[in-house]
Amino acid sequence: MEQKNPHGKGADAVLNLQPNSSISIAYHSLFGPHDDLVLLEVDEKLLEEVLHQRVSIRGQPEEDAVFCTKSKTYGIKYVGTSNSVLLIPPSGRSEYYTNELDSHQKDNSKEVAPVIKVAPGIMELHEIAPRIDKLKLLLSEEHYSFADEWENEAVDKYEKRMYNWDDLINKVQASDNELKAGLQALSAVEIDGYWRIVDEKYMDSMLQMLLHNRILNDWSLDALDEGVIMNVMKMDGFPEKLVQHCLHVYGDKLDEHEGKSCLWRLNEKRVCVHFAREVLRKGKMKLEHLMDEWRQKIPLGMCANFDMLEGEVLTERLGVETWVRGFRVCQLPSNPAERFTILFKERPKWEWKDLQPYIRDLTVPGLSSEGLLLKYTRRTQPNPEAEAVFSAR
Amino acid sequence: MEIKLKCNCGETKCLEWAVVELQGVVEPQSTFQDRLQNLEIGILCRPSAQEVYTFTVGYHELTGSKISLKKPLLVLKKTRSVDEDQSSDTKSGNAELEVIGIIRQRILFKTRPKALISKPQPLVKERSRASGSAVTGQTT
Repeated sequence: MEQKNPHGKGADAVLNLQPNSSISIAYHSLFGPHDDLVLLEVDEKLLEEVLHQRVSIRGQPEEDAVFCTKSKTYGIKYVGTSNSVLLIPPSGRSEYYTNELDSHQKDNSKEVAPVIKVAPGIMELHEIAPRIDKLKLLLSEEHYSFADEWENEAVDKYEKRMYNWDDLINKVQASDNELKAGLQALSAVEIDGYWRIVDEKYMDSMLQMLLHNRILNDWSLDALDEGVIMNVMKMDGFPEKLVQHCLHVYGDKLDEHEGKSCLWRLNEKRVCVHFAREVLRKGKMKLEHLMDEWRQKIPLGMCANFDMLEGEVLTERLGVETWVRGFRVCQLPSNPAERFTILFKERPKWEWKDLQPYIRDLTVPGLSSEGLLLKYTRRTQPNPEAEAVFSAR
Repeated sequence: MEIKLKCNCGETKCLEWAVVELQGVVEPQSTFQDRLQNLEIGILCRPSAQEVYTFTVGYHELTGSKISLKKPLLVLKKTRSVDEDQSSDTKSGNAELEVIGIIRQRILFKTRPKALISKPQPLVKERSRASGSAVTGQTT
């Protein structure tokens, strides 16, 4: 910097070594193991993210750390080398760069590039699925329920085991976007700064109250006015935030008209599935029984269809009877190995049409759904016309 | 916990580090084992306009070339910001990771070392796995 040496010292001198010249490679005056210096391999795309300071390392001390960009998660693998990788820092600036070679270096005029450490290996990154199951675990510790509204304000969040966004970032190994998607998949809602899953009982009574009010006030299921609903539901004692959550979970927002409050349409499938779950909570039952009870529960104007229950029920044929039992894909782990273990424990053989609803949400970077099946299942097909059957490997 | 990967390179490019990589281990003579600092390892020479280099370590000469890395390597430095709180010895301070440089190319020597006959006073000798025989360096 101070002196414009065309060759410089350190790394610059090595990288810009001119033809017919040489440079002495020597141990740095601070040469040592320098365990605080690590090498991380990144591709050009990740490099951009790093330069813009959009990446972080996440994990608890007992977990293998992961590397997160805004939208992706990477596993970190240490790859050792038996080669001698001599690291030469650039000259100038920071602590390692200063290059004061002692006087016992005989030839002072000679250019010297100092080696600060011998790197024993590098860290490599490979994209992985976010470790999102922990989010479910954390948020399931304490569901939001009526009790939350009876209690007084000053509840210690640690006593209550509640988590705000920063707590989740610190505990869950996923990128910001993946964490947001995970929260959405769990139908979690931010209440007073904490991300919560709302108790099924609470959701049920909100939905029931909404449907009850709809009959009283003769609202249309296809055009529910948010402002009107909010006023009525607040009078029934439900906080605005929760009512809004209820609309998000069971409805779809219609286009906003300027000046007017939003309109919502209740989503037939989601409302129907909610009531099917209520019925299925009783345990194994005949299909006809489920359909009868289910149809009685669903609101007028909606139509229950057994196809809505993909990924919600398992069907079993016993003689002429068909029995069903609640088995929800959303309650299964997102780790493929764990998922398949549970599936094959549940049922040793699966036909494709039964299996598909329980695995279609699985994503493993670099592995197609065919690859996933190849890795975790054994496919048998007695003859070309027969349905393929999948069993454990 | 979350450790932000800091990068103060900002607008200016990350400073580039150099790597000289050779097979096997550079083994200093036992008298220097404990005080390697400032000790010369060898002479890196670029005999022509090509990106071909020789590295002379003790009595041995290696021939190699400069190659670009397919994926760059970042040089990260781990730091531990000291807790302002009193008893920080039990709590590990907040770890930080900072990008302090980038490696885009290396000078790789992957050939067997060639023995030089008339060279004075090597300070370190080089031992190479590639050479097969366990120790190839001579001592003075």
